[in-house]
This record gives sequence, structure tokens and C-alpha cells, in this order.
Amino acid sequence: MADVKKHDTPMCDELKSGPWPSFVDDIEQKGLKGKQDCLDLLGQLELSYVHKETHWKHGGIVGVFGYGGGVIGRYSDVPDKFPSIAHFHTMRVNQPASKFYSSAYLRKVCDMWDHRGSGMTNFHGSTGDMILLGTTTDQLEPVFYDLTHQMSVDLGGSGSNLRTPACCIGKARCEWSCLDTQQICYDLTQTYQDELHRPAFPYKFKFKVSGCPNDCVAAIARSCCSIIGTWKDDIRIDQEAVKAYIGGELKPNAGAFSGRDWGPFDIQKEVIDLCPSECMWMDGDELKIDNKECTRCMHCINVMPEALRPGTDTGATILCGAKAPILDGAQMSTLAIPFIRMEAPYDEFKDFVDKIWDWWMELGKNRERFGELIQRKSLQEFLRIAELKPIPQHVKEPRSNPYVFWQESEVEGGWERDIKAFRARHAA
Amino acid sequence: MAIDKEELKQKILEFATKKAKHKSKMYIKDLYKAAPDASPRQIKNAANELVREGKLEFFSSGSTTMYGVPGFGKSEKDQFGELEE
Ligand code: HEM
Ligand code: HEM
Ligand code: SF4
Ligand code: SF4
Repeated sequence: MADVKKHDTPMCDELKSGPWPSFVDDIEQKGLKGKQDCLDLLGQLELSYVHKETHWKHGGIVGVFGYGGGVIGRYSDVPDKFPSIAHFHTMRVNQPASKFYSSAYLRKVCDMWDHRGSGMTNFHGSTGDMILLGTTTDQLEPVFYDLTHQMSVDLGGSGSNLRTPACCIGKARCEWSCLDTQQICYDLTQTYQDELHRPAFPYKFKFKVSGCPNDCVAAIARSCCSIIGTWKDDIRIDQEAVKAYIGGELKPNAGAFSGRDWGPFDIQKEVIDLCPSECMWMDGDELKIDNKECTRCMHCINVMPEALRPGTDTGATILCGAKAPILDGAQMSTLAIPFIRMEAPYDEFKDFVDKIWDWWMELGKNRERFGELIQRKSLQEFLRIAELKPIPQHVKEPRSNPYVFWQESEVEGGWERDIKAFRARHAA
Repeated sequence: MAIDKEELKQKILEFATKKAKHKSKMYIKDLYKAAPDASPRQIKNAANELVREGKLEFFSSGSTTMYGVPGFGKSEKDQFGELEE
């Protein structure tokens, strides 16, 4: 065994007794192989359990030259007890689109991090980055050099920056994808390098891209600007395959319902009755869809993937403003653009981004998320600055506010009135 | 009106240095006040250039970034209660 000192950690050890693998086991194993940082980390965690408060300080002046993000300073507030984690900075590494790695690359990253950091990683952080946990200030530049020069990867976003864009696996493996999610993700990452690496905003900003409304990357719940693939034309129907589902030759949900007897497939109960817009019916043995009523919920396609496919006239729906429950509770992104073509170089989309960023940079309060700005200034105001025409789909519920306010520009003659001309017609 | 970048940087630096005496960390929005005629984007570009030149420094909690003037305030003391990253 390497020359390391394990602390007495009865409460952490308790976490190893459950039925699932425990992070305590993982960290301890790494520590016993020669990483004092890992054992000190568990020691400090034990102390936090005793005191019921954290022993990490928050933030600091760390970074790599030229960047204002990607490195998050973390310092122990009990460094005398746990000297190896006195500095324990986190580094975010921009993951490849859809997280495709080669094992050679992963080995290189791990070897580098064993050498320059704690050896501990987190695949992946909530935003999507690969997270390298725990290193000292003097190692930041060498790690940055190795990542950029040896492995051709970059740091991700942190702080009041654009965060590392993320996307679902898209066309690489998924037949439902209406977008080239990886290309969009990569293009946004390259286009907005400055915003990604240098603080630009009142707070963080996130783009996430899902290829279809199944939204596997949870763009609608987790991003300030959600890009979700959709189609304009009709759902493609293979009536023979519909019959095969009804006849039991094809398994619904691609066979996901197994392990017990779920009974025979019932297209009425399991598909038609569950269509949220009630736009499906059987005409004899043919399945019919009133496509103009379809909200692209994906349910029927998910149940009968061999019979139904998204249309071929594809693009994206853009929604804005999701956020976590820091202020005023969590919220999902709200519809901005129902359909937009997403083909490189994405000029129309980028014009939209410029408009909303300018608005947020100007009016956003310190630490106000983009979604909170929309909430505070109203959806009307958001649509106005984005130069979007209000449509019924923007309306979430019947109006609770009976007033309509006009902009001065919308009123003939503006707000100025000639009082004399008015008095000529009306007594005071 | 085109604003000279060096002039803008000078204004921001003077403003930040004056402010740093009583408040060592400022948000980008605070720096807008250094030059009300400049757009938020111009200010942010100028401030980021000042950081590259070592005249300002970033302070990041992981979730929010603030600007400081080197030599003012102790980084270890400056903790601002964050709830998430
Ligand atoms: C067939 C003709 C009419 C129908 C069906 C009708 C219907 C209604 C309804 C449903 C409301 C309630 C709106 C709400 O929920 O806030 C309402 C309110 C009102 N209506 Fe009518 N209305 C008619 C004619 C008129 C006329 C001729 C006048 C005036 C000359 C009038 C003056 C008002 C006023 C002042 C209110 C608001 C009452 C309040 O402040 O609570 N209505 N009307
Ligand atoms: C330029 C024209 C007008 C303007 C700007 C105007 C403005 C207003 C405003 C601001 C209110 C108060 C809304 C509230 O806070 O509840 C109101 C209420 C009302 N107005 Fe007018 N109004 C105009 C013309 C008229 C006319 C021509 C009539 C009837 C012949 C009328 C009948 C009423 C009635 C019945 C109420 C409801 C009072 C109440 O529910 O307490 N208004 N109006
Ligand atoms: S979001 Fe849609 S396209 Fe992307 S992986 Fe999921 S099902 Fe496939
Ligand atoms: S995608 Fe959803 S809304 Fe559209 S037809 Fe299928 S079940 Fe109905």
C-alpha cells in the first residue's frame, strides 16, 4: 500500500453499507492507491457531517490566462487538518458533442489527471462538461496546456458566461432526430467562443439541443435557449406496420414492456386515447392522423416506431427561459419560435440570439437568469425585442390581465396631442 | 458614437479602482456606470481586455463572475453565498 494516511470516518463509512455502489468506496479506493487528496477529502467530509456545515470556501481568483471560466476555485477552510486539499480546484472540460470519446483519449485524460490532480473525475457535470475534481493553483496552466496541446480539447464554461452547449445523440444514432444536433452544438460552441470563455452576462446562459420532442437532453427544463427538433409536414405512416402492431407481430415500444405479461397491445387504449390533442382515429384498419392538430408530442411514434416516423420537412422549435428554483421556483422554457430552419450557418437563429442577449445584457439584473428577465419584463416585451409576432401558441393560459397596452409607435400620431385642436371640439 | 477602446478601458479602470476602496468585487453591471454611453458589449470587451493585461482580475464562485482590482480585498474572505453552480 502506498504511503497515505486514512482518517477515521465512521459516518462516511456508513454510506458504504447500502445496496448500491457508494462514492465513498470509489474515493477511498483511489486514495489507498496513493492519493492523499482523496483520503483528506473523505476526512473533511466526515468533519462536515459532524459539524453539519461545509468546510469548503466558495470561489476565488483562479483561472488560466485569457479565460474567465472553466476553472472554479475551491479551498478548504480547515487546511491544517487536511493539507493535501488546501487547494482543490475544479476544472471543466468541454465534452465532445453527444459525448463520443475514444478510449485512447479517456486514458490520456485520466493519466494526465492522476499526474496533475487528484485523479478524481465526474462524468459528467449537470451542464455536460467532463469535470476534473481537485488540483492546486500551480497545476492549472500545465493542465490547460496538456488539454489544449496534447488532447485538442478546451475548457468549458463557468461563471457569468455562456455555458458549454450540450446536445442529444441526434442523427448519429437516433432515427427520430430532425436536426444535426452535433453540428449545431459544435457551431454554437465555436461561434460563441468569446462568450464561453470570458464573462459577458449578468449570469450563466445555456444552450441545449435535442433532435426531437422526446428531448433527451432535457433542453426545455435546463436551458435558457432550448433548441428542439420538429417537423412541419405529416407523420409518416406505414399502414402494414400498424397492422403488425395490432396483430402482435411487432412489439410496442420496441419491446420495452417485458418482464411481465402486459396483455395484448390495444392501439385504442395505448395510442389513440393517449394522444393529447385527440387527433388520431382508426378508419377501418387504417390509422389516421389529423396532422394540423398534432402537437408533436412523440407518444404515438414512441409506441409504434416501425409504423410511425416524424415528417421529413424538419427544423427546430426555439423555447426560452428554463431555470432552477433559486428565485421564484423552477420554470421550463416557454415557446418563442414554433419553427425555424436549422441549417448551417444558422444565421436566422443567431440573429435571434443577438437580440435576446443585447436585451439581457442591458436590462438583466445581477445574477438574474434570462428566464427571470422574461418573467419580470413580461412575455410581450420579450416578443417585442426578439421581433417575434405574437401567436396563439405563445399563450399558456387565458388572460389573467384584462389590459392591453400599446407602444407609442403603434398609435397613429403617438402620444402627442394638439390641445388647441382638441379644445376646439371639446369644452374644458 | 464610436468610443475609443483605450479611453474606455481607462474610464473603467479609474471607476473600478475608486470603487474598490469600499467594495472590492463588482459585477459587470456595476462597470456599465463607468461609461454610460458605451454599450454593455463594449464594456464587457474592454473589461475582459483589462483582465488579460492584469489590471483587473476575475473572481468566480463557479456560478457568478465578478471583477476586482488586484491588491484590493482578500480573495479568501470574499465569499458570496451561492446556491448552485
Ligand atoms: C346582448 C348584449 C350584451 C351582452 C351579451 C353583454 C355581456 C356582458 C358580460 C358577459 C359581461 C361581463 C364581462 C366580465 O366577465 O367581466 C358584461 C359586462 C359589462 N357590460 Fe355588457 N353585455 C351586453 C350589452 C351591454 C350594453 C348595451 C352595455 C352598456 C350600454 C354593457 C355594459 C357593460 C358593462 C359596463 C360591463 C362591466 C360591468 C362591470 O364592471 O362589472 N353591456 N357584459
Ligand atoms: C377614451 C375613452 C375611455 C377611457 C380612456 C376609459 C378608461 C377607463 C378606465 C381606465 C376605467 C377603469 C378601469 C378599472 O380600473 O377598473 C374605466 C372604467 C369604466 N368605463 Fe371607461 N373609458 C373610456 C370611455 C368610456 C365610455 C365612453 C363609457 C361609457 C359610455 C365608459 C364606461 C366605463 C365603465 C362603466 C367603467 C367601469 C367602472 C367600474 O367598473 O367601476 N368608459 N374606463
Ligand atoms: S431527443 Fe429525440 S432525436 Fe435526440 S436522442 Fe432523444 S429521441 Fe433521439
Ligand atoms: S405525436 Fe402526439 S399529438 Fe401528434 S398524433 Fe402522435 S400522439 Fe397525437
